[in-house]
Amino acid sequence: MVNLAHLIPVFPLIAFVINILFGHRVRRYSALVSILSSTVSLCLSIYTFVWFLKGQGSYTLFTWLILGGTSLNIGVIVDPLTCMMLVVVSTIGTLIQIYSIGYMKDDVRFPRFFAYMSLFMSSMLGLLLADNFVTLYIFWEGVGLCSYLLISFWFERASAARAGMKAFITTRIGDTGLLIGIFILIFSAHTVYFSDLANLSDASPLLTVAALLIFCGAAGKSAQFPLHVWLPDAMEGPTPVSALIHAATMVAAGVYLVARCFILFSAHAPALIWVAYIGGITAIFAASIATVSNDIKRILAYSTISQLGFMMIGLGVGGYSAGTFHLMTHAFFKALLFLCAGSVIHSIHTQDIQKMGGIFRKMKVTGLTFVIASLAISGIPPFSGFWSKDEILSEVLRNGHPFLFVIAMVTSLLTAFYMFRLIFLVLFGKPRSEIHPHESPKVMTVPLGILAVFAIFVGLVGSPFMNHAFQNFIYLGQSHKSESMEPDYLVMVLSTLLASMGIGIAYLLYVMNKNILPQRIRRHFTLLYNIVYNKYYIDEIYDFLFIKPSIRLSRFASEFDLGVIDGAVNGIAWIFVILSKISSWIDRNIVDGAVNMTARIVGLFSLALRRAQTGYIQTYLLIAFFGLVIIIFIKLIGG
Amino acid sequence: MSGLIHLLNNYGLSHEVIIKATFYFIAGLTLLFALFVVLSRNIFHVAVYLAATLVGIACIYLYLDAEFLAVVQVLIYVGAIVTLFIFTIMLTADIDTGSIRGMIRRVSASALVSLALFFILIKVITMTTWKVVLPGNAPISLSELGKSLMLNYALPFEVISLISLAALIGAIVIGKAEKR
Amino acid sequence: MIPQSHFLLLGASLFSIGIFGVLTRRNAIGILMSIELILNAANINLITFDKFSGNPDGLGQIFALFVIAIAAASAVVGLCLVISIYRNSKTILINKINLMKW
Repeated sequence: MVNLAHLIPVFPLIAFVINILFGHRVRRYSALVSILSSTVSLCLSIYTFVWFLKGQGSYTLFTWLILGGTSLNIGVIVDPLTCMMLVVVSTIGTLIQIYSIGYMKDDVRFPRFFAYMSLFMSSMLGLLLADNFVTLYIFWEGVGLCSYLLISFWFERASAARAGMKAFITTRIGDTGLLIGIFILIFSAHTVYFSDLANLSDASPLLTVAALLIFCGAAGKSAQFPLHVWLPDAMEGPTPVSALIHAATMVAAGVYLVARCFILFSAHAPALIWVAYIGGITAIFAASIATVSNDIKRILAYSTISQLGFMMIGLGVGGYSAGTFHLMTHAFFKALLFLCAGSVIHSIHTQDIQKMGGIFRKMKVTGLTFVIASLAISGIPPFSGFWSKDEILSEVLRNGHPFLFVIAMVTSLLTAFYMFRLIFLVLFGKPRSEIHPHESPKVMTVPLGILAVFAIFVGLVGSPFMNHAFQNFIYLGQSHKSESMEPDYLVMVLSTLLASMGIGIAYLLYVMNKNILPQRIRRHFTLLYNIVYNKYYIDEIYDFLFIKPSIRLSRFASEFDLGVIDGAVNGIAWIFVILSKISSWIDRNIVDGAVNMTARIVGLFSLALRRAQTGYIQTYLLIAFFGLVIIIFIKLIGG
Repeated sequence: MSGLIHLLNNYGLSHEVIIKATFYFIAGLTLLFALFVVLSRNIFHVAVYLAATLVGIACIYLYLDAEFLAVVQVLIYVGAIVTLFIFTIMLTADIDTGSIRGMIRRVSASALVSLALFFILIKVITMTTWKVVLPGNAPISLSELGKSLMLNYALPFEVISLISLAALIGAIVIGKAEKR
Repeated sequence: MIPQSHFLLLGASLFSIGIFGVLTRRNAIGILMSIELILNAANINLITFDKFSGNPDGLGQIFALFVIAIAAASAVVGLCLVISIYRNSKTILINKINLMKW
């Protein structure tokens, strides 16, 4: 078998080039080009998976840079984590692109959308295949760029443009941390290859800092506290974008990075614990905001942040397989949730859940898949979310973090609650909107169905029913401390109980009492409600602390440029004007004056000499005789 | 005249002294009249003074043994030219031309120049040693003069007549009244 | 008896007076009369030199004769000019006849 892994990102890249350059000529067929390329990547991913199972591994492609004594070799990493991620990303990407044919049907820039989607697929797949930090960083920036392009896809809207900028700048802050971390790593470990991380098992403070900084980059991309602020605003982009990039794949890149560098993190316990706690704070913080939000996509965005925090908790306590398991299951059901939301938005033309209701009657497929996904995320067995969430909860408890356990449990409760609040308000009850919903076209509902199947069954690969095949697989090739695999029944029962409780409370508040109780709660706890509803005023704090001073600084710089530098240039020009004015004055008054004065002197002389022209002969004779006298006199004196 | 001379002889004044005295007297008078010529206000007076001066000069010629010329002087200068002058003065009505005192500047300059010239001439005259010939020579007789005029200097004589003719014609042409 | 230089002095003074008159008089006829004075002074000089030279020709006298003739001719023409000018500008004061003044 021949190694074809490196071709995986190539086909979407070709699709991007075709769609960007010839988009206006291919029009509707641009979708075909993109989907075709995604499908090819999917096939190649599966092929690589099988190829890996047959015993193959990472390999190098070519030497890129030669600096002094060292050289940078570009290669491909093929290990369990990458294989799993490749298949997941390709599958979900293809399905979402099929869905987009229906969702973006009426958009003018249809080909460009698919071009950006293909570019994103290429970057994400390249990121997964990178075997060293340099290549990783290149693709890291690539996905960031695509995120920006797609968030502000409808750039006519000022809010979309701003959201794109916010996303880019916020992740940039994370990326700077990542870059510095890479530099520290190069400086102290003299390597950029992931494979060399295993040799750095000796803890050193410098490497701890490097690990923390790498996590900083991951936190930016995965929207962890405090760099989470861009993800809710990124919902300005089209819903397929939110589904693909901001739910299933790109935000997972941060988690992937932590997993990739797990050996580095686990060798430096402070960094790892930091990961866990940040994840914990993020999880409960985001979940609380989701409970009071009224925008369907924002609820899902905060849900994503919360679930990513969950994954970080999993990785942070040392559960490599638990975290990556949840990464996989979350990709499927979150993508499904977003696509369902997109379907609803497509038919109702609003995103405010207060204005929705009773949609289930008219949109059966969307509604059913929506419920399935919600059950999955809430952690109800036997759906996929249950197994992965449980793994994380078990790991937390097993590795002795009771505080984190409590936080995780509360988060699970809140997750179930807000998801079913969403379900009950959107799908059931009396319709509150004038627009009559209708089911979406098949091109949108079929991907929904396929994803629903995954959402139900994909968790089983990590369940005891399949002997934890996933965990075993993930550990393949990784020298890692083994974990006990017996199911923790206490945790399972507890989590299911909490999830059911959450659903029950939601049912109570929103179905039985028909929204009266929530309003009463709101009235009594107004201050608390306001704080949570306004996302704890984090955006306002950031604006005050960072954004306004930055704007003031840039304005100052621009005014300095205009005033001082342009002023200097203008001043020089003004000096020249003054000089030319002086020179012209000199020319007019002094030079011309000299000329005029000469003329006037001549005039004066001639005026004086004119007196000699009396016209009197006697005067002439007088002068003549006077001359004669003088001459004779001189002759007399002389001679 | 000879009686007067004899009378004067008796008083011890020799021939020479009388001649000398009268010469200086006439010379002074001539000069005086010449001054009046240039200084007079009335142009008619000027003409008369000119006539007097010319007569005086004729007398001086007598002292130089140039009797013919003295006569010619009186005849032509006084008789014709001064008459001409008087005619012209009559024809041009400005008799009284005002004194020359008004033009002090020009007058003083001219006086200065004339005086300077005079002094130079005096200097020259007194400085030079003149070739003196004894007055033993007999004066030239009139017939001698006539002969030399007709024989030796006939050409200038003819030329003079031509010039006179030219002057005559010129005078007529210039003096002709303009056609209206 | 009378030295040569005295005659010459007389001629010189007449000459100077004549120059003064030419330069000073405003009346055109007055100028012409002063010119006559100058010519006479020259005549005196000529005859003096003739007498004291000792030449038997009487050259000086003949010269003086011609001078008189010329003087007469010039006086005639000059006076005609004066009359002509008088006809044109009604004045013979030369400071009033200033067409050649700048």
